[in-house]
Amino acid sequence: MTLDWSVVWQHRDALLAGTATTVLLTFATMAIAVPCGIVVAVLRLYGPAPVRAAATAYVELFRNLPLILVVFWAFYVLPIWTGLSGLSPLATGLAALALNVTAYNAETFRAGINSIRRGQVEAAMALGMSRLQALRRVIVPQAVRRITPVLASTWVSLFKDTSLVSVIAVTELAYSAMQVRAQTFRVLEMLTAMAAIYWLLGYPQAKLVDWIQRRYAVTE
Amino acid sequence: MTANSATGNGGDAARAMAGAPCIVRYQGVIKRFGAFTALNGVDLDVHAGEVVCLIGPSGSGKSTLLRCTNGLETIDGGAIEFEGATLPRDERALRAMRRRMGMVFQSFELFPHFTALQNVAEGPRTVLGQSADAADARAKALLAKVGLADKAASYPSALSGGQQQRVAIARALAMEPDVMLFDEPTSALDPETIGEVLNVMKALAEEGMTMVVVTHEMTFARRVGDWIAVFDAGRIVEQGVPDQIFDAPATDRTRDFLSHLGWTG
Repeated sequence: MTLDWSVVWQHRDALLAGTATTVLLTFATMAIAVPCGIVVAVLRLYGPAPVRAAATAYVELFRNLPLILVVFWAFYVLPIWTGLSGLSPLATGLAALALNVTAYNAETFRAGINSIRRGQVEAAMALGMSRLQALRRVIVPQAVRRITPVLASTWVSLFKDTSLVSVIAVTELAYSAMQVRAQTFRVLEMLTAMAAIYWLLGYPQAKLVDWIQRRYAVTE
Repeated sequence: MTANSATGNGGDAARAMAGAPCIVRYQGVIKRFGAFTALNGVDLDVHAGEVVCLIGPSGSGKSTLLRCTNGLETIDGGAIEFEGATLPRDERALRAMRRRMGMVFQSFELFPHFTALQNVAEGPRTVLGQSADAADARAKALLAKVGLADKAASYPSALSGGQQQRVAIARALAMEPDVMLFDEPTSALDPETIGEVLNVMKALAEEGMTMVVVTHEMTFARRVGDWIAVFDAGRIVEQGVPDQIFDAPATDRTRDFLSHLGWTG
């Protein structure tokens, strides 16, 4: 079998565009899933009973469903529920990823908030802070620093898992590479190129997050 | 039954500040944790400008009473009055009252993600809505007051226990409280740093700050305290001026407690 690596270069535009979409999906998903994860975690910890139950149900549902199923579900069911028939595959994929990662982040934040000792809340309350002020100024900032390593691994997983939205024809890296493969039949070359791009992008991200964690870690 | 009757109140005549207005008044305070009764009818007055020291064995209810004072714990019976008004149950009203009470914890509880300066400025900024400049200027002055002007930019993890506790005192003072509550402020400290914290507290007392101090430092209680309340099993077994409590205790419980500490007067 002869290998023809020129096929990768020939289709660089498609691969580049796909890579850009993958990166965009990762950033957009986290931009939604971090704040939403905090909100869900806080509701689950401090909300009134029905809200707590709803937040718990949401987290347990999406944490225990395969992501690919959520992607399909978002593709077929979301338009019916929301009446938004014109939702693009990209928006649908983003919704599916955000629903999934928000559930994970909510659990991470909940653990982080629970890990801050009670005395910190009491010190904030003794100053006259409201519960919300204590959360915003004292608890959440410490919790976020503490769970950065977990968020980092969620981030790296997410970067790779964006490939799952290729099943609904979002033209991210995996989908683009598979399209080229289908046109050229250069399976090995395209899979290798895809692997190289994912790894080369994923590894520095993981290292970058490690660095951020060291830089902003709180010593006690 | 008031505290003054059966338990031997050490003579209000000797109480220097007895004529000053009452800042905190505890009346028959009861606090239960499940089946355990932590406070079983506590009566005590704290007058303006007084240093009231709560002493007694561990688990006798001293810290619990202090934590009830600013509503960190809710009482199950009796009443606590702060500056003439009953401590409210409503969160918002309680918060307004907490702003006027400073609290210092045994374990400091500085905010580890803030510098010393930010810790002190945090209350005025977030709770009182002061500008960053005003809050920082005042925080600097307070850090200087507790002898830590040069540590403004340090994080708590870089400070010794005694330094952390002095920052915590400055943090509480930044709210310009009418009373300071100290919950065993030196119990978590190395012996060599206890003195620096007690000196700050002594200076505060000399300025006329009203203070309620839970402490095991009997020398401090005797020298700085104006009024001593001896706790045992959720009750005040005896209260009076230091000379009476330490030199002529009226109850066996007080004598036992002091002799366990090796107090010889």
